[in-house]
Amino acid sequence: MARVELNNVRKAWGETVAVDDLTLTIEHGELVSILGPSGCGKSTILLMLAGIYAPTEGELRFDGQVVNEVEAKDRNVGIVFQSYALYPHMSVRQNIMFPMRFKQVPANEASRLVEEAADLVRVGDLLERRPSQLSGGQQQRVALARALVKEPQLLLLDEPLSNLDATLRMTMRSEIKSLQAKLGITTILVTHDQLEATTMADRIVCMKAGRIEQVGTPDDLYSRPSSLFVAGFIGAPPINLLPGKAVDGKLNVNDFSLTCEGAAAGDVTVGIRPERISFAEGGIPGTIDQTEPMGRETLYVVSCPLGSIRVLEAGSKAHRRIGEAVAISFDPSDTLVYDSRTEALLGDVRARAPS
Amino acid sequence: MAADSVAAVGQPVIEWDTLAARARSRRRWTMTALYAFLIVVSVPILIPYLWMFTISISATTGGTDTFVLWRAVAILGPAVFAFWPLQAIFEDGKALQRARLVLVAVALIALAIFVAPHLHEHNFRFMWNRNFVDELRGYGGELIQQFPSVWVAFANSLLLAGAVMLIVVTVATLAGYYISRFAFAGRSTFLRSLLVLHAFPAMTLIIPIFLILFAVSEYGWILGEIIGLGTIGGVVLVICTIELPFAIFIMKGFFDAVPWEIEMSALADGASRRQAFVRVVLPQVKVGMFAIGIFAFIRGWEEYVFVRTLLQFEKSNWVMSLYLFWVADDIMGVDYGMVAAVGVLYVVPGLLLYVFTQKFLVQMTLGGIKG
Ligand SMILES: Nc1ncnc2c1ncn2[C@@H]1O[C@H](COP(=O)(O)OP(=O)(O)OP(=O)(O)O)[C@@H](O)[C@H]1O
Ligand SMILES: [Mg+2]
Repeated sequence: MARVELNNVRKAWGETVAVDDLTLTIEHGELVSILGPSGCGKSTILLMLAGIYAPTEGELRFDGQVVNEVEAKDRNVGIVFQSYALYPHMSVRQNIMFPMRFKQVPANEASRLVEEAADLVRVGDLLERRPSQLSGGQQQRVALARALVKEPQLLLLDEPLSNLDATLRMTMRSEIKSLQAKLGITTILVTHDQLEATTMADRIVCMKAGRIEQVGTPDDLYSRPSSLFVAGFIGAPPINLLPGKAVDGKLNVNDFSLTCEGAAAGDVTVGIRPERISFAEGGIPGTIDQTEPMGRETLYVVSCPLGSIRVLEAGSKAHRRIGEAVAISFDPSDTLVYDSRTEALLGDVRARAPS
Repeated sequence: MAADSVAAVGQPVIEWDTLAARARSRRRWTMTALYAFLIVVSVPILIPYLWMFTISISATTGGTDTFVLWRAVAILGPAVFAFWPLQAIFEDGKALQRARLVLVAVALIALAIFVAPHLHEHNFRFMWNRNFVDELRGYGGELIQQFPSVWVAFANSLLLAGAVMLIVVTVATLAGYYISRFAFAGRSTFLRSLLVLHAFPAMTLIIPIFLILFAVSEYGWILGEIIGLGTIGGVVLVICTIELPFAIFIMKGFFDAVPWEIEMSALADGASRRQAFVRVVLPQVKVGMFAIGIFAFIRGWEEYVFVRTLLQFEKSNWVMSLYLFWVADDIMGVDYGMVAAVGVLYVVPGLLLYVFTQKFLVQMTLGGIKG
C-alpha cells in the first residue's frame, strides 16, 4: 500500500502534450478516480505510474521515494487495461499465474495464490478456459485477478467497466469498491463515466487536456465545481449554463435581469443544477417544451426569458404537458456564477431571481 | 391484429418443409459444382506429378513404353472424375461414404491388376549406386565417378534450405518487431524500400553478386571459405538477402496485429522486455513465423539459378537441383525413368513439409496480413 505523489509531471511526444504540470498526492489505501473526456491524458498518467512511459519532466514518488527510473517490473503495480489485455494464448489460470512467474514464490504457493485471486473475483471455475471463451465481464474479472495476485502496492484501473452492459457495470462497480476496501490497496480508477467516478471514488480528479481542473470529493465536484468545464462535465442531466453579463449589480441573461449578489463584472455564466430548480407560483414564467421521463424523475425543458432551462422534478410520471404555462424558481444559494473569460468560479457571487 | 389477418388471407400457406428441402438440394448442387471446379482446375497441376511418379516406378532403361502411364491415367482419371457426381447422387452421408469407399476400392483393384505387375524400383538405383552413369554407358575398367552420391546433394540441399529458413525467420522476426514497434528516423522510407526491393527481379543482380562473392573468396581470407564463391554459405546469404524484405514486411504485419497493451501488461506483470517479447508477443505471431519459415525453406530447396552460377565448381557442394540437372543432362535420352525418380526424391521433402504444416499456412491466409 503506497502513498503516491506526482510532482509537476509532464509527458509530451514531440508537439503533443498528453499531461502537463500535474501535481497530485494519493494517500494510502485511497481510491481516487481520474475523470475526464477522451484524450485528456488519463491513460498516460497510469502508464507513467506503471513504469511503461517515462515522464518527460517532473517526478513520481511511491512512499516518498522517487521511482522515475525504476523499471516497470520492479514497481509492483497491478494494472487493468482498457481492453483487459489478457494473453490470448494462455488459459485463465496461466494468465493469472503470469505475474507469479517473476516472483520468487514456490510453485504450490503460487498456484494457491492464483486460486485465491480467482475466487476473490469469482472466476474460480473458469480457470481452464481461454480468454476468447469468456464474456466481457468475466474477462474483466480475470484481468482484475491478474492485477491483484501479486499483491500490488498500487492498483491502476483503466476504464475497467467501459465494455460492460449497464447492470453488470453496476454490479462490478460495487464489487470493485468493496474489494478495494477489503484489501486496502491504493487504487486509481480512470474513467470518463462520471457516475462511475462519483459512486466509487473517495476523491475525484477532474482533468481537461492534460491538466487538472479540480480535485475533491464527489460532493465537492458536484455542488461546488470550480470551473465551467467541471460544472458542465459532471452531473446528468447536465447543469444549466446561462451566459450573461454582469452590470451594476445585475446579471443580464438574454435581456432578463437577475439580481447579482456579490461583486462581479463583465461576461459571466450562471449555472444551476436542474434538480435545484422547482416549479413554483410567482417565479419566472415559461412554457414546457419537452418532457423526458427518466425513471424516478422527470426532466422538463422549459422555455422562459432566461432561455431553454432543464428542470428535474421527482416523480416518474410527467404530469405536466407540453405547452403548459409554468413558473420556475430557484434558491440563490444553489446558483454558481462563473467568469466566462477565465471560466473560474466566482465563489462569493450568487444570482437571485427577481420576485 | 390487422397484420395477422392480412397474412392469413392474402398469402398462401408457407410450406416450410418444401423450402427446407429446396435449400438442402441447392446446397448439395453448389457443393458439387464447387468440387467439380476444383478438380478440373487442379488437373493440370496434378497430372505432371502423377506422370513423374508413374514414370519413375515403371519406365525401363532404354525403353519408351508409356502403356503403364496411360493405364494409370485411364484408371485414376475416371475415378477422380467419378468422385463428385457421387456427391450429387447420394444425399445420405453414410451412403455417400460407402459409395466413395467402393469407388476407391475398385480403382485400387484395377491398379493392382493392370499396373502393379509392371512396377519396379530399378530407376531409384541412383540412391545406392553412384556409378549408374558409367554402368549405363557400359564403360569397362576404371569408373569415372562423375556424380557425387545423391545423399551428399540431398544433405547439402537440406543444409542450404535449413540455413535460409533459420536466418530468414530470425532476422525477419526481430526486424519486423522493431519496425512495427519503434519510431525511428527513416522508418517509412525503409518500409517503402522493403517493397521496392522485393519488386526488383533478383536475377538482374546475378553478375554483381557473382563478383561480390568472387571478391570475398579472393580477399576475404577465412570468410572466403565460409561465404565465398562456391560455398553453400555464400548462396545462403544471397537467398536470404533476396527473401528477407518480403519476410520482414509480413512479420511487421503480424506484429502490428498484436496489441500494445498486451506487451505493456506483461511489463507491468513483472516481465523484462525480453521476457515480454518471448513469452507474450512471439506466441501471437507464431503463425507468421511458421509461414515465412516454410516459404524460406522451400525457396532454398528449389533454388536453381543461384546455385547453378555460384556453386557448381565443387561436386561436394552440389544440391538437389544441380544433381537433377546433371542427371538429366547425362542420361535423359537413355533412362528418363531415372530422371523422374530423382525428381520424385527432390519433390518429397517439400511435399511432406506442406502436408504437415498446411494447418499453419491456411491460418495465415485466413488471419490476413495487415500492412
Ligand atoms: N504513444 C503516444 N504517442 C503520441 N501521442 C500519444 C501517445 N499516447 C497518447 N498520446 C496522446 O496523448 C493524449 C492523451 O492520451 P491518453 O491515452 O492518455 O488519453 P485518455 O485520457 O486515456 O483517453 P481515452 O479516454 O480515450 O482512453 C492524446 O492526445 C493522445 O493522442
Ligand atoms: Mg485511455
